Amino acid sequence: MQMSPYFSSADYIHEHVQPEDKSLADLKREVDKHNLSEMWDMILTLDYEVNNVRELSRETREEFCGIVSLLLKAFSK
Amino acid sequence: MLTRNRTVFTQLGTDAIEKGLADPQLSAFYDSMMSSSGLVSEKLREHMPYLSLCSDKITPLAPPPIFYVGRRASQRILFGEEWAMQHDEELRTPDPELEQASAEAYRYALEEQPYYGYARTRLNLGGKVVDIAFERLIVALRPTPTSERRFCAYFGVIQDLQQL
Repeated sequence: MQMSPYFSSADYIHEHVQPEDKSLADLKREVDKHNLSEMWDMILTLDYEVNNVRELSRETREEFCGIVSLLLKAFSK
Repeated sequence: MLTRNRTVFTQLGTDAIEKGLADPQLSAFYDSMMSSSGLVSEKLREHMPYLSLCSDKITPLAPPPIFYVGRRASQRILFGEEWAMQHDEELRTPDPELEQASAEAYRYALEEQPYYGYARTRLNLGGKVVDIAFERLIVALRPTPTSERRFCAYFGVIQDLQQL
């Protein structure tokens, strides 16, 4: 792909990356709002053995987001 | 339509675990959680694949919704991958009668002490009728000593599963 000379390739955000990051950020915001951050950390460190969700592969991150989605439903209703 | 003729849900009590009568892996999980006073610690890691985790939101008719089903958990074996991976709605076991029969054990684990018991029941799993016997341990855990949150960890061991 021909990049513009006015911005570096590092600034380029692929159209499919941005929505995923936004969805992750939205989930984390909801988790914090419902006081579930400790549960997020527990699953991440004990099951996935990472400290930051961005260390997960895309596929594994989707699986983790599915669990978090259930976590929110299980505690917030 | 669910049909069943031999349904038993019996609390055996954690004394049975301490006397060595329970499944060894279930016993190891129990010992681990008791040694950490019901707090989440590194000791939980090795047991995660066998656990289902659910919240503390209980009603008289249903146990709390599930949010995590370990890769080797008995509920994943019984209800399948597709069931375990769904996340569009609250995750509950697919049999309302099983849900109702299980609720009391979760209440006991949350309000009193860890629940250990035996169950035998007949289930209709998507048109396939099975007779199942299992032992189960439910422990209420807290992520950190100061956390306001609690959740239930369910360790089930299928002892017998017969397709009818």
